[in-house]
Amino acid sequence: MIDLENICKRFGSQTAVDRLNLTVKPGEVFGFIGPNGAGKTTTIRMMAGVLMPTEGRIRICGWDMAENPIAAKRRIGFIPDRPYLYEKLTATELLQFIADIYGVDAATGRRRAGELLERFRLSTRATERIEAFSHGMKQRLVMCAALLHDPEVIVVDEPMVGLDPQGIKMVRELFQSLAADGKTVFVSTHTLPLAQDICHRIGIIHQGKLLALGTMNELERTAGVSEADLEQVFFQLTESQ
Amino acid sequence: MVVLKLLSPRWLGMAPKSGDIRSWTRFVALFLLGTAFIVGCHWITIRVLRHFQQAQDIGNLLAYKLLSILMITCFSLLLFSSVLSVLTKLFLSRDLELVHSLPISCESVFQARWLESVFDASWMVVVFAVPVLVAYGRVFHAGAAFYGLMMVDMIGLCATAAALSVLLVLLGVLVIPASRLHSLMLLLGIAAFVGLYVAFRLSRPERLADPETFSSVLVYVEHLRGADAPYLPSSWCTDGLKAALGGRHVAALIETGKLWTFAGFLMGVGRIVARRLYFIGYSKSRTAAISTFQMAGGGLLDGIFRLFPRPSIIRGIFVKEWRCFFRDPSQWSQLILIVALVVVYMYNYTALPLHKVPVRTEYLQNLLAFLNMALAGFVLTALCGRFAFPAVSGEGRAFWIVRSAPCSIGKWLWMKFWMMLIPFWVLGLILVVSCNLKLDAGAWMMGISVFTMTMVTPAVLGLGLGLGAAFADFNIENANQAVTGFGGMVFMIASACLIGLVLMIEAGPVHRYLVSEIYRHRQPTLWNWIGLGFSLTAVAGICLGALIGAMRYGERRLVNSG
Repeated sequence: MIDLENICKRFGSQTAVDRLNLTVKPGEVFGFIGPNGAGKTTTIRMMAGVLMPTEGRIRICGWDMAENPIAAKRRIGFIPDRPYLYEKLTATELLQFIADIYGVDAATGRRRAGELLERFRLSTRATERIEAFSHGMKQRLVMCAALLHDPEVIVVDEPMVGLDPQGIKMVRELFQSLAADGKTVFVSTHTLPLAQDICHRIGIIHQGKLLALGTMNELERTAGVSEADLEQVFFQLTESQ
Repeated sequence: MVVLKLLSPRWLGMAPKSGDIRSWTRFVALFLLGTAFIVGCHWITIRVLRHFQQAQDIGNLLAYKLLSILMITCFSLLLFSSVLSVLTKLFLSRDLELVHSLPISCESVFQARWLESVFDASWMVVVFAVPVLVAYGRVFHAGAAFYGLMMVDMIGLCATAAALSVLLVLLGVLVIPASRLHSLMLLLGIAAFVGLYVAFRLSRPERLADPETFSSVLVYVEHLRGADAPYLPSSWCTDGLKAALGGRHVAALIETGKLWTFAGFLMGVGRIVARRLYFIGYSKSRTAAISTFQMAGGGLLDGIFRLFPRPSIIRGIFVKEWRCFFRDPSQWSQLILIVALVVVYMYNYTALPLHKVPVRTEYLQNLLAFLNMALAGFVLTALCGRFAFPAVSGEGRAFWIVRSAPCSIGKWLWMKFWMMLIPFWVLGLILVVSCNLKLDAGAWMMGISVFTMTMVTPAVLGLGLGLGAAFADFNIENANQAVTGFGGMVFMIASACLIGLVLMIEAGPVHRYLVSEIYRHRQPTLWNWIGLGFSLTAVAGICLGALIGAMRYGERRLVNSG
């Protein structure tokens, strides 16, 4: 479960995220959408413990990110928008490193690494160095790494960048199956049809502020449109600001 | 015209921007530093050449020998830096994809990049060589023709080295992908440099300045007259300059003609080869990198897994660091440099002419052993600057993995510290213990040296890691460059101050002990021991303070940067 309470992030005089309040429950896929520079990545990086909020509290499965960052981070699988990895390691070695860092025991780590590499179609390249991987392959490897320790919360920034159609389908099914297993999935994306299809609830952020929050029907009502798709709702809400 | 247009982003990027005070400050500072360097080079050369001229008969021989060494060194440096520069500019630059997508012929791209790499590879050598050669002109009272010929010859030497490098690189990338060739060349270049340096040092060049070490004057003069290789472009350049210095203008023009004919021939061949091979090589460099070498070291990793059978953050980080270090050829080359540094360092102590010094040797041996601690400290500082300072920046853009991992930044930083401490401590001990043994310093001095290095090593390492964390730059393309920035300067100054302070604190008690033990043949008094105890405690306290302070500062800055 994710609980954001009055989160603010300021970079000098510029406010990137402004008093954001949000709760995402277990078993839910939450979509976070907004135009470029709206504060999506900043919010996600704060949730992953990569960035410190200027104000406010972030709780992951009840653990406060400021007070108990280790316990909170242990429960998160973070998938950033750009898959920067240790290029000199092989895929298997990276997963072994992640298993060590997250304290996954050797047998479980090996088994899960094998399963994930198979699932993400990387098993044939498992012993190659990451520097030889394409962008999409690195992205899939980051997903393997994020899921290796079986996290309760998955935080994803732009999951579809660089993925082929097969990869997109796989990720779509993955998020749904994770939610069905009771995990919390928080997805920031520009791919509006994806958000519309798989997310139980959607939040629209603009200029650091949460403009609207709810299911598709609730968003339609907020935007004052009916029978519309997410794209129309999005433009209606963001362009009126 | 297209070639000039392709070069314009470079000049536009280099020029200081109006209104940008930082870029102007940097420009002015660089200009002043560069001027000081040029004037310094010129002044030192004049002093050396005038000193040579005081030696009758052999003064000019010594000056010409120096000129020959200078030219061959310049040519070697030009060749090595041209290969790296050509590889980077023609095959590895990030902007090449954009440039190749433009509606411009491949040949224009090649020419623009080649010109850029000639400039990049040559300017530093030219900036160093020109003031030295001008000094030759002044000391030998050469006419205006010498200065003109000097510039023509220097440009010819640069063009020859660059044309030769292009040919080597164009053929090389067909066999090995460019990224691998770059690492390989760097490794081989550094290995060759280290080999030459060690061989040069072990050949004891200081004997050239001491004719007494030769059996007769004739042998010495013959040694100085030793002919240069006649087919080397650097020899043509040297001969041309020598002729111009002696006023033999026709001979000088013939040698310059040889140099430029060869340069022109190489450039022509290079252009033909590039027309056929450049784009093929470029396309090859865009394909996936394949490991050139399979690194050994699995045995040690097995040992680590046995030592830490349970998964832990320590095991994870240790194994990751080990693998990344040994898979990066630019790191192995540093190891070669360290070995050479240690060999030459220790050799210098064996070559010290202690028997010629009119001071009581036992005192001098212990004094040198004491001063050696400063040198060892500076060597450690240089190595920490190379390995510890960039250790945090070296995580690069993958640092998000550490930030999002269930491990505090402080714990992660301290783990890096403990991993590096033992090799650095062992190296520090090797430097002081081996030199103390060579110098035959007393057991007491050995104790002081071991204690001081045991205190100073973690402090210098902590300063390197802590300040490296505080001034970390995760976007830097080559983490090894991190130490050349402002943070690196702060680290170097802090470390030098720490070493100086430690030695100042120890100097008094050590001096009193040596005087009473060696000159007065008396046991030190109780006050001597109390003084020594105080100074050693102060050293331990200062080193511990520096270590903890720097590490905490680095941790705080790193946490707050998120």
